[in-house]
Amino acid sequence: MTTRDLLPVADAAQTRAAMWALLRPRRALAAGAAITMAVGTGAGLLAAVILGRLVDAALAGQVAIAGPVTALAAIAVVHGVGAATGGVLVARLGESALAQLREQFVERALALPLARIEAAGAGDLTSRVTRDITAVAEAVRYALPTLVRSSLSIGLTLVALAALDWRFLAVALLAAPIQIWTVRRYTRDASPVYAAGRVAVGAQQQQLVDAFGGAATVRAHGLEASRLRLITDRSRAAVDLSLRGIDLLSTFFSRLNLAEFVALAGVLAVGYHLVRADAVTVGVATTAALYLHNLFNPMNAALGLADEVQVARASLARIVGAAHVPGPVPAVTPVASVVPLDVQVAGVDFHYGNGRPALRGIDLWVRAGETVALVGASGAGKSTLAALVAAIRPPTAGAVSVDGDDLATLTPHEARRRVALISQETHVFAGPLRDDLRLARPDADDETLRGALATVGARWPATLPEGLDTVVGEGGHRLTSAQSQQLALARLVLADPPVAVLDEATADAGSAGAAELERAAAKALAGRTAIVVAHRLTQAAAADRVVVLDDGRIVEQGPHAELVAAGGRYARLWSAWSTHRSPTES
Amino acid sequence: MPSTARTLLRSVVDGQRRHVAASAVLAAGHQIGEALVPVLIGLIIDRAVARDLGWSGLAVGLTALAAVFATLSFSFRHSLRTGERAAFLGAHQLRLRVADRVLSPRGGVRRHTGALVNIATDDAQLLGDVNLAIPRAVAAAVGLVAGGGALLLVSAPLGTIILVATPLLLWAAHRLGLPLERRSHAGQETAARAAGLATDLVAGIRVLKGIGAEAAAARRYRDVSQASARAAVRAAAARSWQDGGMLILTGLLLALIAGVGGVLAADAAITVGDLVAAVGLAQFLVWPLSQFSWINGQLAQGRAAAGRLAELLNTPVAITGEQAAANPPRGRLQIDALRHRSLDGLTLAVGPGEIVAVVAGADDAQALVECLDRTATPTAGAITLDGTPLAALSPEAARSTLLVAAHDGDLFAGDLRSNLDAADNADPAQVTTAAERVGLRDLPDGLDTVVTEQGRSLSGGQRQRAALARALVADPPLLVLHDPTTAVDAVTEADIAAALAAARQDRATLLVTTSPALLAVAGRVHQLRDGRVVAVGEHADLVADADYRAATLT
Repeated sequence: MTTRDLLPVADAAQTRAAMWALLRPRRALAAGAAITMAVGTGAGLLAAVILGRLVDAALAGQVAIAGPVTALAAIAVVHGVGAATGGVLVARLGESALAQLREQFVERALALPLARIEAAGAGDLTSRVTRDITAVAEAVRYALPTLVRSSLSIGLTLVALAALDWRFLAVALLAAPIQIWTVRRYTRDASPVYAAGRVAVGAQQQQLVDAFGGAATVRAHGLEASRLRLITDRSRAAVDLSLRGIDLLSTFFSRLNLAEFVALAGVLAVGYHLVRADAVTVGVATTAALYLHNLFNPMNAALGLADEVQVARASLARIVGAAHVPGPVPAVTPVASVVPLDVQVAGVDFHYGNGRPALRGIDLWVRAGETVALVGASGAGKSTLAALVAAIRPPTAGAVSVDGDDLATLTPHEARRRVALISQETHVFAGPLRDDLRLARPDADDETLRGALATVGARWPATLPEGLDTVVGEGGHRLTSAQSQQLALARLVLADPPVAVLDEATADAGSAGAAELERAAAKALAGRTAIVVAHRLTQAAAADRVVVLDDGRIVEQGPHAELVAAGGRYARLWSAWSTHRSPTES
Repeated sequence: MPSTARTLLRSVVDGQRRHVAASAVLAAGHQIGEALVPVLIGLIIDRAVARDLGWSGLAVGLTALAAVFATLSFSFRHSLRTGERAAFLGAHQLRLRVADRVLSPRGGVRRHTGALVNIATDDAQLLGDVNLAIPRAVAAAVGLVAGGGALLLVSAPLGTIILVATPLLLWAAHRLGLPLERRSHAGQETAARAAGLATDLVAGIRVLKGIGAEAAAARRYRDVSQASARAAVRAAAARSWQDGGMLILTGLLLALIAGVGGVLAADAAITVGDLVAAVGLAQFLVWPLSQFSWINGQLAQGRAAAGRLAELLNTPVAITGEQAAANPPRGRLQIDALRHRSLDGLTLAVGPGEIVAVVAGADDAQALVECLDRTATPTAGAITLDGTPLAALSPEAARSTLLVAAHDGDLFAGDLRSNLDAADNADPAQVTTAAERVGLRDLPDGLDTVVTEQGRSLSGGQRQRAALARALVADPPLLVLHDPTTAVDAVTEADIAAALAAARQDRATLLVTTSPALLAVAGRVHQLRDGRVVAVGEHADLVADADYRAATLT
């Protein structure tokens, strides 16, 4: 496999700057959240003080419980309300920053040039959009509140311990070196295991999709044993890595137990010493011991997040990095003029990344309003030429101009006002049918949408259970491949570009569907300059001009009838095709 | 042996019983240790600190504390390890059983891939996690008994109050929390929508760029993202208030204990150490008590998952035949008066050295292919393979004679070579030849081209040609091809038709197609209408008929 030119990853400074840019406008909210939570946590800490006082009172034989009990009840309310309000504010802070981050990222990601995405491998962007955004979102949703709450608890408890007597704090801090060492080892050992584990779970998932999705083929070719072996291996690998992660996690918490013991024993010993020296009362020693006991949970919670925080930080760096690829931010494409424009391809060469020339010395002038069909075998360069005319890729040499403007000098947005492309991919966007269509023309009303569907001969939307509201795509109503292609043509009608490039696999729909789609395409292309990649010769016969490509060069061109009469390569193709088809058709 | 949800659940626990038992014992040990910590703190403060038993007294106390910590730490570590082992290994075994059933040569499972994958992953894990819930249940019960017992020993009246009040409080918290929990859950689902939309938009990025809809898509994403953020804040608010409510309730319980305990301590009915221990134990008891609702939920989810797994594992098989194939298999196919769905008495025969084509509408074609690949049982009529009824043959026997290649055959992750040589036993030269025959020239690394899951890295046309090449490499005595070139351009299709005739000259081949290029290489074409044969002959002769032209030429 060739090495991928992955999208950039932000360095620590860029990531910090991006975080700060998100936080700065929300400073007031952040401060409010911190103060509210601190009040709640601080109140919680007072409970141990009251209990200590109660111990002292009891030791003195006093029965004055009304005060302490009322105080404890009040503390409970302040603690609960403070924690809840603080939690809400932290969520507001985190979620609004997260939303801004992901919106900026998705906007930038969608604006990336296709060639750049392909150089990185499609998986790179997809994993940033799915895994990395999810990792950051989960950190914001679950780790952040816990971290804020725990840090406040820990910080305030340590302050409170110091307030009781500085020696309590000193001895409690004996736990810190053990904890630091434990966390360091854990993050060092666990991060690669968890990363490998996530990869292994993904691989297992892919293997299951691969085998279950192809179950019919597995049966037809007798591949059960080999597929089961692969599934067993992948599943076992994922399980083993998960268990290694559990081993590390359990060792991690065991070591933290040691830290707990050291601090607790230390505080008890110091308490003993200070009580004997009359420096503090038994109640104060009790308070200190309770503080420490109550510190275990927040301490473990915060330290247990070390790994998650690291994962989220790495994901954040990938998100910020991808958002830093230079390029224009897309503007909403205004609906273009309906006057067809001419297309000029001059001296164009194109090489793919591996140096293999796909097109050589292409000169082609498509007059305004003309329909040109590209004919050739697989790999002759038809789709590549279509992509160049559609400004999806820049030519390696030469230029493609529309209405005299070199596409390379136009912004993607300006180029798209002139040329639209329907590619072989027939993605149906998940959601209501109306939303899918409106991607092409955001301000279109239902009448316009129905009109576009009618133009391409799509009668099926009228029979859908909920009409334009029907949810289609992933997880919704499944469209057939012919319907998906009609949908793509309807989007083209709505986008209404002066120049249209069609590289759709009409043949995918089967013979009967293909004929219908050809008629639909002809309607969608009416009044535009069109370049059609012809998968079937009927498409070529219907075009104003046929261009025959072979091995990246134009070998013949002219109107269908002329080429047939000329008796060249196209004529031979056509005669092979038409004798199979009908003695009367040619 | 049909599995019910109950037997499946039992088998998962039983299969890992040593791990489950060890984990339960260790988890119980951990709970006892956790219960002892506050008791020991109380004892140390009471005996050593308050009554000043000297450094040696303190040392005894701290040694005991060390022993408790060592025990609870050890038990926690190993309880977690053994419990997770039981859960993961149980899920692993279930996953393999699901895979085995789904991929069984006898077929019968007809469900969406996504649903099947969910059962093999999520449901298997949910059921496996029962092995984690059982030790937790044992530990919570033991913790409850140990903590409660210790409390009663410390002080009967105080212990009674705590043991009555704590479950009441938890119950109240649970009831009060229910609506919040529902809101939180609903909010989380809305919050997940943004992630789904982003994935979908990126998956369709070529389509978006083709029509310049990037900005419209980004704007739509922004709207959903904002709605998601609002839902997430609502969910978080519900959760925060639930947690805050719990804090208030436990705080109030603490006030109650302190009040009663304070009175008792001042009366010298209990010691100060007892009071400290009681407070600590009350806090400790919240954990085992709160575990029961978690365990209940976990077991309910496990049972539901077991039901779904059992339903899948019990799916009836589609193929029941047991007979062996003819030796050697010749691939002679005879179809007599076949009725199935739209087929209404179809009769045709294919023998070795013949290429026979069937021109049919989509319904008839699909019905015929279903009967031949044995995903459906015909309602009437006979299909025999080398003289044996197809239905009587075992899956292996049928496979050694017949290969039905669908028009959208699936590819697998690997490289092109491993896909073409699916059975991994072909002559390398044969693989190269097959790739050339179907015109697979347009791939950057030839046979070493990487193929991702389900062949997604290839174009539709490349996938179809690869699947056809795979069928040629398999070289079965009888090959049935259903629309093998629908995603291939006309020029390449003509080349493929010629190559196909060369590749199959000594074998039996049935083409179900309407493509003129392929029909031209068939020795005999059967035209079907309304489920029966209406014309037989060579393509070149049949084209004269307008009706035939309409069926094949569009």
